Amino acid sequence: MSERSARRRADGIDDATTAPPPGADQLSEADAAYLAGLAPATPTAYHRQNPLTKATAATMATLGAFVLGGYVGPLAILVLGVVPGAIVAGLLGRLVRLAALISLPIAVSVALVSVFTRAGETVLFVIGPFDATLEGVDFAAQIIVRLFVIAMALGLFGLTTDPRALVVDLERRGVPPRVAFAAAATLETIPAMIERAQTIQAAQRARGLDTEGSLGARVRGVMPLVGPVILSSLTEVEERSLALEVRAFGRPGRRHLLWTLPDSGRQRLVRWLLVGLFLAVAVGRVSGSLPAPL
Amino acid sequence: MIEIRGLVFDYPGGSRALDGIDLTIQDGERVAIIGQNGSGKSTLVKHLNGLLRPTMGEVFLDGAPTAGIRVAHLAARVGLAFQDPDRQIFAGKVRTEVAFGPRNLGRRGGELAAAVDAALVAVGLDGVADQNPYDLGYSRRKLLALASILAMDTRVVILDEPTTGQDADGVDRVRRIVSDLGAAGRTVIAISHDMRFVADSFERVVVMGAGRVLLDGPPANVFAEAGWPTLATTYLEPPLAARVGARLDLGATATEVSLIEALAARAG
Ligand SMILES: Nc1ncnc2c1ncn2[C@@H]1O[C@H](COP(=O)(O)OP(=O)(O)OP(=O)(O)O)[C@@H](O)[C@H]1O
Ligand SMILES: [Mg+2]
Repeated sequence: MSERSARRRADGIDDATTAPPPGADQLSEADAAYLAGLAPATPTAYHRQNPLTKATAATMATLGAFVLGGYVGPLAILVLGVVPGAIVAGLLGRLVRLAALISLPIAVSVALVSVFTRAGETVLFVIGPFDATLEGVDFAAQIIVRLFVIAMALGLFGLTTDPRALVVDLERRGVPPRVAFAAAATLETIPAMIERAQTIQAAQRARGLDTEGSLGARVRGVMPLVGPVILSSLTEVEERSLALEVRAFGRPGRRHLLWTLPDSGRQRLVRWLLVGLFLAVAVGRVSGSLPAPL
Repeated sequence: MIEIRGLVFDYPGGSRALDGIDLTIQDGERVAIIGQNGSGKSTLVKHLNGLLRPTMGEVFLDGAPTAGIRVAHLAARVGLAFQDPDRQIFAGKVRTEVAFGPRNLGRRGGELAAAVDAALVAVGLDGVADQNPYDLGYSRRKLLALASILAMDTRVVILDEPTTGQDADGVDRVRRIVSDLGAAGRTVIAISHDMRFVADSFERVVVMGAGRVLLDGPPANVFAEAGWPTLATTYLEPPLAARVGARLDLGATATEVSLIEALAARAG
């Protein structure tokens, strides 16, 4: 191993502008082992799908849930698409908890707002000046179902995809590194946000917030967290991108990718099928040839 | 009174952070916990308010086991300021942050305002009560985290590395707070890497290494020459005053005051 490749290995930055030295294609055993160690762990077949395939699935499930509306469409996406994927990946339980945690704060506010403010015929009950209508409840329930399906779809992507793998794969497809990094950073924010919310909540319990008690107390505890947690995660991403910048991340020129992720003709086909299916549904919905949402 | 019996704690994932701790802390004691990074200090104190629950062993508060008592209820008796203030601060305003704890404990109105003001004055943040915590620097956020525990007026106050990141002025402030709490008869437990602060402000020092208690006693004993090999196993150095005193054969001089007295006695 040459001194230069040793150094390159040590700081993990590729020499972007010069051509690889002769014989660079033949890796020494030590180098090959090191590169293999860099690749993300892929415990199940679902994890091993190309990041773009998983991203396409998540995006189409999200858009599909929106376009279909009602209950049946989004739930069909959930039961036929997301849940089987999660079972293959072996993390259904974790995913459900995660999706519930993410959608809870928004679900609560949506429910409060729409149940009481939506005009409707059937009044269910009255609190002070507000009346809760059946139409409001129905509207809120639809939104919450959609939200949960979306949280599940995005969560499945997030839990099975190493952000580094996404960066590498997007770069390989010619996406500018900065854009690829932004995509990965977004992906990384989600677990960081959850971790952060949990530690702050532990600190709140230490100051007497009773989250082991009622659901109401839990929700009251989560609400003030949403702002600071999102903010601090963003700051963290900014700091990380600065740290990358000082290590010449933005340097122009061609770069070598240290590992590539398998893709296949079949996966490409699946991706186009998903996109096609979504487009068909969207066109059907807009043109009115699909029945009204149930 | 706090009693810890046979406490063992494994983090999920298997690493054993506490490996059999027995410790009794009387009301009104000022106890410092020291030891190298990862020796289990933070893990230990999180058992005192129930944030962590023993894998084995028991924790008693005033004679009653803490098992089964909610953190929120233990919090009325045991206040714990976290090591990292940013894992604790969430409010948009310094005053709101400090009021969070006492409000949860049921204080309202004038009583709440008085508790918040007193805590802010104690840490010297009364001038920035209406600012956003994230506009303060790290050392002042650390003091804010401390104030938000002081405002709860708990009988036991636990401070996880209160002097880290503080300049001499900040350290002095923390020293004063510890001595005031002690004078008021409250129990103070502090984790610290600052040996001088430990020797000066605490009457008892607990040395931890690899999840166990290695030494336990007054600073003069723990920092006496006989204990140095044990301290070294957990990568601790005795305070400078103790090293000078030992070198000059002045006996156990853990604090600068005792060192100066010993020197004066020899000269006179
Ligand atoms: N959340 C966690 N999950 C798993 N292991 C942990 C966790 N927190 C701490 N540990 C491990 O438990 C051991 C004790 O950690 P602890 O934080 O109690 O040490 P400490 O004495 O407070 O160290 P420091 O001086 O760095 O604050 C360490 O080996 C640490 O790596
Ligand atoms: Mg610690």
